[in-house]
Amino acid sequence: MPQPGLPPMRTVLEYPYTRTTGPVIGAFLTGIRDGRLLGGRIGAQVRCPPLEYDPGTGAPADLDPVEVGPCGTVSSWTWVREPTASHPFRHPFAFALIVPDGASTGFLHAVDAGGPERMSTGMRVTIRFKEQRAGAVTDFWFVPEEDGAEPAPPVEGGEPVTLTEQPLSLTYTEPYHPHRVRFLTGLLEGVVTGQRSPVTGKVYVPGRGYDHLERTLMTEEHDVVVADRGTVSSFTEITPVRYHGQKETEPYIRASILLDGSDSPITGVDIRTIPLAEFRVGLRLRAVWKPEGERDISAFDNRSTGGWEGVIDRWEPTGEPDADTRALEEHAF
Amino acid sequence: MARPCAVVGIGQTDYRRRLEVSLEGLVRWAALEALEDAGLTFADIDAVVIGKAPDLLEGVMMPELSLADALGAVGKPIHRVHTAGSVGAATAISGVTMVESGRYDRVLVVCYEKQSEGNATWALSGGKSGGQGAGGTFAPWIRSYIKRSGAPEHIGWQVAVKDRRNALRNPHAHLRIPDISVEKVKESPMLWEPLHFLESCPSSDGAAAVVLASEDLARRGPAKPAWVIAHAKRSEYASFPGRDPVRPRAGVDCAEALYRKAGITDPLRQIDCAELYVPFSWYEPMWLEGHLLTAPGEGWKLTDSGATELGGSFPVNPSGGVLSSNPIGASGLVRCLEAARQVRGTAGEHQVEGARVALGHAYGGAAQYFAMWLVGSELRPAFA
Repeated sequence: MPQPGLPPMRTVLEYPYTRTTGPVIGAFLTGIRDGRLLGGRIGAQVRCPPLEYDPGTGAPADLDPVEVGPCGTVSSWTWVREPTASHPFRHPFAFALIVPDGASTGFLHAVDAGGPERMSTGMRVTIRFKEQRAGAVTDFWFVPEEDGAEPAPPVEGGEPVTLTEQPLSLTYTEPYHPHRVRFLTGLLEGVVTGQRSPVTGKVYVPGRGYDHLERTLMTEEHDVVVADRGTVSSFTEITPVRYHGQKETEPYIRASILLDGSDSPITGVDIRTIPLAEFRVGLRLRAVWKPEGERDISAFDNRSTGGWEGVIDRWEPTGEPDADTRALEEHAF
Repeated sequence: MARPCAVVGIGQTDYRRRLEVSLEGLVRWAALEALEDAGLTFADIDAVVIGKAPDLLEGVMMPELSLADALGAVGKPIHRVHTAGSVGAATAISGVTMVESGRYDRVLVVCYEKQSEGNATWALSGGKSGGQGAGGTFAPWIRSYIKRSGAPEHIGWQVAVKDRRNALRNPHAHLRIPDISVEKVKESPMLWEPLHFLESCPSSDGAAAVVLASEDLARRGPAKPAWVIAHAKRSEYASFPGRDPVRPRAGVDCAEALYRKAGITDPLRQIDCAELYVPFSWYEPMWLEGHLLTAPGEGWKLTDSGATELGGSFPVNPSGGVLSSNPIGASGLVRCLEAARQVRGTAGEHQVEGARVALGHAYGGAAQYFAMWLVGSELRPAFA
């Protein structure tokens, strides 16, 4: 359900995964790198790509290599009219199940045929290798047999392929939940909105649209504004570890703060301006908001509780005496 | 009434960066070793259960589908369990219930993680910068435990040294630090106050497997069975007003249910040893208390006394534990199968002498998912 006032959130999830091939798929990919298509004999069948085991029984199978192709037969296909960025071609092409000559089984690959009228079940195709090959299934594709020249003779002698890179990237958009829209709109206006449970009276910040303990719906009528000041209920000093997409390099504090009027602390709050030695459970803090036009809610998704650094410039000690930490036990964490 | 169930086969890989094997090769190693131990082949298995931690760790979605034929599951029921870090123990219990139900006579349980293919902190932070990491989540609760119990700071260092020394006796263990000492632990870099680098688990690749069987098949051998005396699972929300994450209610309830089912009234005396999920050193005393093995505030004293060392009155993590090897999705099953090895008397260099009843345990998420089993050398041991 689209929400007025806030565009859907867009999330990009990406990571450069690696895959260890093991000896059998390693031999297959080494063959690709060298410019040949390798199958493996398992019982009466020649499987391409080869497997470490008999897929019917799970019994171990040492590689008994058989060179297959370079031509093959299409046993099924579909036409891709609008290729995406991760497809092998920018122009329309076919994905097809191809059984290489000499193999008993087929695998899915791309056929660059020009148009769907040139595709048919039972058609003959031939392999085409890229000139620069890393040892990956993206090093080759297929063309209709009549378009293909004989592939160049294989090149031998490189190191065996044992590891491949598999960069994965997922982009998705998701509309914010209605209660989330009210919470985030509040933040843009400099107001922290929670929800009061109609059953227990406990105030949750942010609200979830339901009381997860009492399994009761919470709607707009349960929204309450809480203070933008509160008490540190828990914290960790984070020494950032390096990983893909990590921007942090220096240690910093991540705190949970129980805002006045709330029964559930906000979590994952960045603290960068208060020294660790002065930071403690019970410390009273107030939010210093970013100027109204500079508030950014993009780090909040529908589930996360962190992202406060986009709207709050920093948290400052109020100068009040520390809160009684025993009284926090009911809410801490 | 549930049928009795026993562990009749155990397999596990070495835990380290396994760059020489494929994912299929890794899980098959553990599965084939468990089958060999049981004197069986895939053909003898009625159903397969897979467990692993979040898919983002390796970026392989729904691995129970792509691994089905590698685990001989063609034409057989297969399902996947996912309860974060507790998944290994939860998967074992899922397999046990299938045998107990009477519907399946032999179930193969396989758990794995191949952490080297991705990055756990990236995955646990949902792909965002500024990930808190598991240690960052647990550190405040650990500090709270220390404050509440009055435990001296050396307890954490001592657990780290004990588990790393135990790991030297376990050829599968990942971290092997022969000259480990309290000085070395406390001088290692501080990651999340009060946790030092050497008080934290490593990132490991590895797989573990067990074959579970009904009573009549278990008695036919060839290997000595480890009987599943009782099992329990409990969970709670990660955050709610009044939650005590230092001593989560779900953990207390899980232990109570387990001991009640087993007829145990004095767990510390009636259980001979335990494999507890301790990814950060302080979780040993915290779970000793949180799972009713000691009274609140007494767990660190048991650790301090040396009772949890191999050779002590209640050895904890004789295998070296999660602190020495952490293939996350498999780690809970490793706790469970190491408990089974103890009561079978096949734990090798880290065998607890005369172990008859052993506890396998795992927890996950924000210390919110719990799964435990008790295994014994006898199906119905008499507890005095």
